[in-house]
Amino acid sequence: MENTTSNSEYLRGTLKTIVLSLLAENKRMYGYEITQAVKEQTNGEIALTFGALYPVLHKLEQEGALLTESLEVDGRLRKYYALTQQGAETARDKTIELGRFLNALQNLLGVPEPLPATS
Amino acid sequence: MKRLSSQGIEELKRLLIETNADSLLLPELLDHLACEAEERMWDGQSPVDALASLRREITPEIVRTLNLDHQNLLAMNTSLDEIVFEGRNKAYGAYALRLNYAKNVQKAFAGGILLFLALMYVPRLVSSLTPEKKTDYMVESVLTDVRLDQPKEEIVIPPPPAEEAPVQRQVRYLPPEVVTDVVEESPPPTIDALENAQISSQNVEGELLPDLIVPPTELVGPSKGADIGAENVVEDKIFTSVEQQPEFFGGQDALMKFLGKNIRYPSQAARANIQGRVILQFTVMPDGSIADIQTIKGIGFGCDEEAERVVRLMPKWKPGRQAGKAVRVRFTLPVYFSLQD
Repeated sequence: MENTTSNSEYLRGTLKTIVLSLLAENKRMYGYEITQAVKEQTNGEIALTFGALYPVLHKLEQEGALLTESLEVDGRLRKYYALTQQGAETARDKTIELGRFLNALQNLLGVPEPLPATS
Repeated sequence: MKRLSSQGIEELKRLLIETNADSLLLPELLDHLACEAEERMWDGQSPVDALASLRREITPEIVRTLNLDHQNLLAMNTSLDEIVFEGRNKAYGAYALRLNYAKNVQKAFAGGILLFLALMYVPRLVSSLTPEKKTDYMVESVLTDVRLDQPKEEIVIPPPPAEEAPVQRQVRYLPPEVVTDVVEESPPPTIDALENAQISSQNVEGELLPDLIVPPTELVGPSKGADIGAENVVEDKIFTSVEQQPEFFGGQDALMKFLGKNIRYPSQAARANIQGRVILQFTVMPDGSIADIQTIKGIGFGCDEEAERVVRLMPKWKPGRQAGKAVRVRFTLPVYFSLQD
């Protein structure tokens, strides 16, 4: 648990970028799918809680970066998210920005540790 | 692939409602938790266990922070209006008014400008649409031959013949003629003829009576004129108005000069600042002397006495005359007293 809380601290600033880049790869995803994808690709290093994810998704939707589509699956509504044109551009910009920032961080901290691939 | 039963979904839904999950998030959270539960079932847990474990993890506190995060993130974009109307009745008109205020102002502004421009351009538009009346300042005139028509002969309507009025019976009446010579049939008698005869209205051949004197017939009545004593009576009478008014020798100007020279302004009157007119009456006797001086209207303060004194000093006047005779005349004289300074 301690690990996840410290991670969530760093996540706060990057979560938006993570979600956007994941959607850029996979076209259409729903909430749980995103958490699972993050978990898989980071080998469980980063665990997205639904409490952090959904507000960010809604925020992006409000900003016009995401389109939503609700489908009924197994007796419940599943909301799929996809990037808009504007969202795709934001995703690219954000990813490049974050990469640059991570490089800078790496130089600053001098910890040559492989980072989880985001793209 | 293991599926969560509808019962299980209902249970999860109840759980979320109990923890006060945001209604906007609820369907997604439900799906998410259902997936989570299915995942755990996939790992080998029984549906009951999976739900129980989820129930342990989903505490009201977690949901509350989720709600707050969600609201805060979304609220970054919301305006003051949202803050003001948080927890209030948004269905009431004020919220809508506030929300659309900026838009409405823009619309009104644009509309106003358009209206203004329209009003400005309508006259121009109208004038451009209506054909313009060309006012020629110079007109080329072509001279053309004018052929005058022959004047028509005027048809003269002859006046109807005058009807002759019926003629009245007429009698000739001679107009008076001026006759130059009138023969006097009986000329006046000569003096010779009258010598021994009496003048009469007829000729009577009578006797010549030499001594007969016939008194003339009284043609004139007895005189009604004044008798001999009348002249004295006239002298006694005091006239107020006569044919020839009495006069100071030298006239009115001389009288004024005399008065101005002789009158001393009484010191009493001068001190009391009295001014005005004293009216005196006196009689001019036939010999021109002044008598019976009387003050008709005075102003007092010694002015009346002074005026009387000066009048008494006056030399003899030219007496008034009635029918050529010098008579007594009552004369009225105003004397003015005025302080010059």
